[in-house]
Amino acid sequence: MNRRLPGAALALAFAFSAFAAGEPGGMKKRRPLPHEYGRVVIDNGSTAAKLPPVVFEHWAHRGKFTCRLCHVDIGFGMSPGSTRIKAADNMAGYYCGACHDRKRKFDGGTVFEACQKMPAGFPPRDTCYRCHSYGKDVKPMDDFASVTRNLPRGRFGNGVDWEKAEQDGLIKPVDFLEGISIKRQSFTAQKDFALSPKVESMPEIVFSHAKHTVWNGCELCHPEIFVGVKKGTTKYTMVDIFEGKYCGVCHVNVAFPMTDCQRCHVKAVR
Amino acid sequence: MTGPGRWRAIAVAAAMAGALPAAAPAAPRMAAPAARADEGWRAEFEDICAKTQDAMALSAEELRSLVERSDALLPILERLPEPERKVFTKRLQACRNLYAFVLETKEKR
Repeated sequence: MNRRLPGAALALAFAFSAFAAGEPGGMKKRRPLPHEYGRVVIDNGSTAAKLPPVVFEHWAHRGKFTCRLCHVDIGFGMSPGSTRIKAADNMAGYYCGACHDRKRKFDGGTVFEACQKMPAGFPPRDTCYRCHSYGKDVKPMDDFASVTRNLPRGRFGNGVDWEKAEQDGLIKPVDFLEGISIKRQSFTAQKDFALSPKVESMPEIVFSHAKHTVWNGCELCHPEIFVGVKKGTTKYTMVDIFEGKYCGVCHVNVAFPMTDCQRCHVKAVR
Repeated sequence: MTGPGRWRAIAVAAAMAGALPAAAPAAPRMAAPAARADEGWRAEFEDICAKTQDAMALSAEELRSLVERSDALLPILERLPEPERKVFTKRLQACRNLYAFVLETKEKR
C-alpha cells in the first residue's frame, strides 16, 4: 500500500470532523438517525398561523419521484426555506399542492390535500397535522421501517442504497406529472468521467453522468451548481463540499452522505 | 433578436396582450392547474423547455434561438400573478441557463 495513504485519510478525516462537529460553542452535532436523514423543517408562516412547522421527509418521497420532478418541474428550491411556500400556493395547486390536491391518484389511492381554506377562528383540523407535525406525536402515514424494509442496505444516511434500489427496479421513481411536467424525448446521458483528488494517493473519483441524470436530468445541476463548461473548470475542495456547495448541495443532507467516502472515491490507488 | 425567435416572441406577446389586460384586478390568483393550460405563454414555455434533455445534441444555432425565445418570454412570465410568476420564471430560467451553458460549452470546444 502506498505509504501516503494513511496521511491522506487522516487529512480527510480531520476535514470531516471539523465540519461534522461544527456546531456553535463547540458542541458536537448529532448524526441524524436513518429515519431523520433528509428531513426538512419548514416554517414560512406556520408559527405565525399558530400551527407547528411542517416536517418534510425526503425518504417518503424519493422512492416514488425523481429529484428532478420536484426540484425542476414543481420548482422546489435546493435549500431549506428558499422556496418560501405559502398555504395559498398549495391551495392553488403549486408546490406541495401540485400532488397533494385530493384529486391526483397514486399507488392506488387518492393523494391527500395539502392545505385547505379555513374560516377565521376555526381550530386546525386533524389533517393539518399530517404535515404540520414538528414537535407533535403524529403517527406518520408511511412508516420508515416498512417503506425501507425490502430495499438494499446502505451504510449511512437513511441506511438505504437508493441508487441500487433504482437500478434493481425495486423502486421506480416517477419523472412525469400530468399537468405539471413537459413531455420530453428520451435522452442520451453524457459520458462518465474520472476526477483526480487534490490529496495525493486518494482513490480517484468516478463521476457517473448516467446515474445522476436518472434522478436529476440536466438543469438541476447545470449551470446552477456546476457552472464550469469543461472538466476541471469548476474548482472546489472537500471543504466546499462539506459546506454544502457543489456535490454537497445534495450529498450532505439527502443523497448518500460524505461519510460514505468509497461511493465516490472508487478508483484504485495507482 | 433575429430569426424564428423574434416571430415567436411577437406571437406570444400578441397572445398575452389578450390574456393579460393591463387593468385586471379580478384576475384569479389561485387558478386551478387545469385552467392554466389554455394560456398563450404556456405553449411557448413548454416548447422551449421540452428540449432540455437534448441540449447537448442541439446545434449552436438552435441553442441560440432557444436562449432568445427564453429572454423574450421571461418579461411576460414576470407579469403573471403569484405563485405562477415565481414557479414559471424559475423553471424558465433553469431551461434558459442550461441552453446558454451548453452553447458556451460548444463554442469553447
